[in-house]
Amino acid sequence: MAEQKYDLGFARYVRDNIDGGDKLSMCMQCGVCSGSCPIGTEMDHGPRKLFMMIRAGMKEAVLKSNTMFNCVSCYNCVVRCPRSVPVKYILHDLGRLAITEGYADRKEVENSRFADAFWWSVTKFGKTDERLVTAKYYFSGGIGEGIKKGMGNMRIALGMIKTKRMHLGMPHKTKKQKNLKAILAKATEIQDRTSGAGER
Amino acid sequence: MAKKYTYYPGCSSEGSAKHLDTSIRAIAPKLGIEIEDIEDWNCCGASVGELAAGKLTNAALSASNLAQAREQGDQDLMTPCAACYLNTHATNEHIREDDTFKNDLNEALAAAGKSYDGDLHVRHACEVLVNDVGLDAIREQVTNPLDGIKIAGYVGCQTVRPFAATERGGDYDSYDDPEFLDDFINATGAEAIDFDNATSCCGGSVSVMSPDKTLHLMKKILDEAKEKGADAIATPCPLCQTNVEMYQDAINQKFGTDFDIPVVFYSQLMALAFGMDASKDAALHQNIIKADKLVAKAKT
Amino acid sequence: MSDQHKIGAYLCSGCGIGEAIDMEALSTVATSEMKAAGCKVHEALCSEAGVKLIADDIASGETTKPMIAACSHRVMTDKFQFDGVNVVRANLREQVVWCHTANDEDTQMLASDQVRMGLSQTMNSNAPVAAPQQSHSETVLVVGGGFVGLTAAIEASKTGHKAILVERSDRLGGMTAHWSKVMPERPPYRDLADNPVPSLIAAVEADADITVMTDTLVTKTSGSPGMFEVELTKAGTASIETIGGIVIATGWRPYDATKLGHLGYGASPDVVTGVELEDMLGNGAVKRKSDGGAPKTVAFVLCAGSRDTAHLPYCSSVCCGASIKHAIQLVDADPDVMAYIIFDELRTPGTAEEFYRVAQEKGVIFVKGKVESVGSDLTVTYHDELLGDDIPMSGLDMVVLATGMVPNSTNVDAPTQSIDDLQEVYVKSDINPVAPFAVAGYAEGTEAPEPIVRAEEALPEGGSILNLQYRQGPHIPILADGFSDSHYICFPYETRRSGIYTAGPVRRPMDFGEAALDATGATLKVIQSIRTVSDGASVHPRVGDLSLPKFGLDICTKCKRCTVECPFGAIDENAEDFPVVNQSRCRRCGTCMGACPVRTISFDNYSVNMINEMAAAVEIPDEFDEKPRVLILACENDAYPALDMAGINRHTYSSMVRVIPVRCLGSVSLLNVSESLSKGYDGVILMGCKSGDDYQCHFVKGSGLATERMGKISETLSSMMLEPERVTTMDVSIADSAKVGKLIDDFMANIDDIGPNPFKGF
Repeated sequence: MAEQKYDLGFARYVRDNIDGGDKLSMCMQCGVCSGSCPIGTEMDHGPRKLFMMIRAGMKEAVLKSNTMFNCVSCYNCVVRCPRSVPVKYILHDLGRLAITEGYADRKEVENSRFADAFWWSVTKFGKTDERLVTAKYYFSGGIGEGIKKGMGNMRIALGMIKTKRMHLGMPHKTKKQKNLKAILAKATEIQDRTSGAGER
Repeated sequence: MAKKYTYYPGCSSEGSAKHLDTSIRAIAPKLGIEIEDIEDWNCCGASVGELAAGKLTNAALSASNLAQAREQGDQDLMTPCAACYLNTHATNEHIREDDTFKNDLNEALAAAGKSYDGDLHVRHACEVLVNDVGLDAIREQVTNPLDGIKIAGYVGCQTVRPFAATERGGDYDSYDDPEFLDDFINATGAEAIDFDNATSCCGGSVSVMSPDKTLHLMKKILDEAKEKGADAIATPCPLCQTNVEMYQDAINQKFGTDFDIPVVFYSQLMALAFGMDASKDAALHQNIIKADKLVAKAKT
Repeated sequence: MSDQHKIGAYLCSGCGIGEAIDMEALSTVATSEMKAAGCKVHEALCSEAGVKLIADDIASGETTKPMIAACSHRVMTDKFQFDGVNVVRANLREQVVWCHTANDEDTQMLASDQVRMGLSQTMNSNAPVAAPQQSHSETVLVVGGGFVGLTAAIEASKTGHKAILVERSDRLGGMTAHWSKVMPERPPYRDLADNPVPSLIAAVEADADITVMTDTLVTKTSGSPGMFEVELTKAGTASIETIGGIVIATGWRPYDATKLGHLGYGASPDVVTGVELEDMLGNGAVKRKSDGGAPKTVAFVLCAGSRDTAHLPYCSSVCCGASIKHAIQLVDADPDVMAYIIFDELRTPGTAEEFYRVAQEKGVIFVKGKVESVGSDLTVTYHDELLGDDIPMSGLDMVVLATGMVPNSTNVDAPTQSIDDLQEVYVKSDINPVAPFAVAGYAEGTEAPEPIVRAEEALPEGGSILNLQYRQGPHIPILADGFSDSHYICFPYETRRSGIYTAGPVRRPMDFGEAALDATGATLKVIQSIRTVSDGASVHPRVGDLSLPKFGLDICTKCKRCTVECPFGAIDENAEDFPVVNQSRCRRCGTCMGACPVRTISFDNYSVNMINEMAAAVEIPDEFDEKPRVLILACENDAYPALDMAGINRHTYSSMVRVIPVRCLGSVSLLNVSESLSKGYDGVILMGCKSGDDYQCHFVKGSGLATERMGKISETLSSMMLEPERVTTMDVSIADSAKVGKLIDDFMANIDDIGPNPFKGF
């Protein structure tokens, strides 16, 4: 086994900087979260084990795992945890941390690529133009991948067009896009100012 | 006398979930609901906004919608989309509970001359139907009962979790064994089958990004619906409807199945049962997998 | 039968007895056969009218010795009490009509035999004459000035008894005197509480009824409850006190951490024990011994040298809670501190669970793992069971080892006391040899771990606490693992030396709350034993018993078996080597009576002869009737109640058995067995409480001794041409009522196989 790196301060860091991390110490390792997770078998480590790894200081192993990026936000863990640990929120924020700290490549992880495509549409139009977001997402991995994914989903796309569920015209926009942009910019400024958490 | 709600349609209403929007607008007046769209509403951020932009910035999207809605009055804000509901309701409650959060967001809103104090109540359309309208009122409107139709009531995740059993969430149903959808279905005259997978996850946004990871989750839902002889699956969530409908091909290819099950919205069923037009009101022509049996039930 | 005595039989026909038994026939047995002076049948003897019936007869002199055949002697004792009269009870209800077929020939025979045995008992027993002891002391001696001792002294004073509190060091307070905070004992069980010891010390010092003697040891103890003569030596000067009863509250000391080198102790000055940390907290601030700096990252290793056969095999119960408390104290003092608690199991029972949650809320991190080693650089390597890996926890400033409690059942400051060979047996777990015990919880057929073998006990190090001048040695008996013996099942605080009780961690690890209860309980027991002395009565289990063993010294052979076998060391020898009973030490169990080979020991109302006569009163059918007879000698503490409860639950079993209650199986003489066999009984069962290391026998050794003695009987039986299987001992506890019937029936089946006793009809 490759040498494990243990960072004893990681648990403290998670507690102070991760959304919901201050509740992590309440976890009693009962495993209801992992048992309830519909996608748990696809994860490198279930949430319970991940939390144990955080306590053991296995920062690299935690942030390199795919656990955070496989979470489907079903909230089963959140409503079932007997200690009210906000599991899903912790996982998602750990995902953000993994990208920020470079353990996961923003350009490679599907979630961040999709998120970036999504956010591009929000800032540009104020709304999600599903077709453009999908296209941008497909091509975020390069032209080759874009074409492949596009071709693979052609039938679905055609079905959507036929049933008039894919908007074909100019993207719907918010009228006062300037306003929204100003609000978002200010929010980002405050975000960076206060905690440094949630950096892009 | 109609009750007025401010209405947040959500981005999918202009695209993949157009038929949800159409059918809700159609049945609303019949159920005594008067809806007024939020002027110039914007995206709520869905499941991935936070990853893209950070918690506060993502919340600012909801804050903007809330501020605007509040300008239109203090009546409740209603949305039919599970993700929109989650984001907007969660942000609203956080504003009400955490002064620092509220102040930060108001500082951001001030950049566009807006503000919001947290005095609205954000509600899911299904909860409004259960608590404000009531099953009796729904039944009263049924002039075209959908007899002989078997429907699998697929609730999904985010419609009920994590707010359906909270006070501000309306306290109207349970997380693991919700009844509201079956009640809606039965009210239309159709038969809600006993569906164990009612709250099994369809994979959500992960299904959009990497369906190979979640096809088996959707297959579970389809397997039971088929096994129990459902004529269609009904759901309240736009993403569930799209996922479970559009990935049946891919599932058939991967697993050698032959699913071809229509996936409709409860509001489409209601529109049909209320005797309204199958296309204009129930928007059944917008389901990719045609719900022929349902269309056949249309009065006109 | 003596002319002075008029034995009146009273038969109750209530509770279903009259419907199941022919009462007239029973009356005939009483009068015509057994020659009772009178026999009256009543439908409810326990009613006012029934009791009056008997009372009037006694008052008028028509009856001087009543025999009441009704319910079990265990019930209605308050109703059937007549001053100065020895009331004998025969069981017609729980052990006849409630467990056997009604209106049946065998049941009728059983009922008749019960009446015969009852009347025989009445003829052969007399009301004991009380022998109150006049001059005695009401003072309580408390040995040990820690939390338990302080509490005991105050409780004694509160009940109006003077107390002498003896402490070997120069200060009161014991191990916990200077502890800063203690675990919460009041709702919501979340906040640390103040140390109660300082205010206890102040209360004790201000109490006029408590004499505090520091720098004092108990150098001699002789006498008996109510009249102990205790020599107290304070800094070289001896004084004698007369004491009523003694509470031993000598407490605990921490396990020697120098033995925990594998956990880093000694390798680095910053590996400390929980007790050392407690000292630092008590002195104000926690500082690393190496450089005086304040630690920022601390790991607690739980079960350090505990639950480990190489060190302390037991759990000390409070270390988990104490470590959580320490962690909370560190984090409260400095929120930047990271505290890790590494546990194998976490024992936070009851309200301590809330306390555990408080620690979690404050950010203390709990890790489940087995610590394998601690390096000199303070790296703690533990096997994380949930991750399935060996994790090195490095970057720590301090490691705290939560070590266990070692009881001060001896005075380790004093040199090891020499003990006679004869006395050795009383100190080293004299109940039973230390037998390996199987690991519980494994189903038959599955692979269980090897049975746990306890190390052979050594004689305890150090001097004795009380220096008892008893022939059974100076020490208070000590159990395996060094804790003072206390009969924890039935009689906590009991030490096997009457009038002397243990309380607190010296008898088992415990926390402040339990220790306070212990101190109070032991003190009350002492007071009970003091007060019964002036009545001449016994303490538990035969509370209020006035009878005393009488020795017929004319045929005593001075074999010393009685003195050796008395579980309580109540019997000494006088100058001529004859046995002498220290009356107030005696618990009236009759073990001496069972031990005596010449049967010269007896009680006014209980003797070898009485049991033999009762057994002989039973009508033994001859072998052609195919009705065997088996005698059950059932100890009154567990076996007899189990039989009663079998009846209460209407379990049925063979009606061929005849039950005689005995005080303890230890009081059963070999003669009782051989006589009954020679009278024609087909079998004899000695039914009593469990013996052995985890004994339940209410008199500690009785059932064990009986088993040992019966081991010797097989020779006798063989010489009588009788099968040894005819005599057996059975472990029956009060909880075994559901199976006692089956045990009896299985034995009867065995007897059927062996065949009838050839001595029948001789």
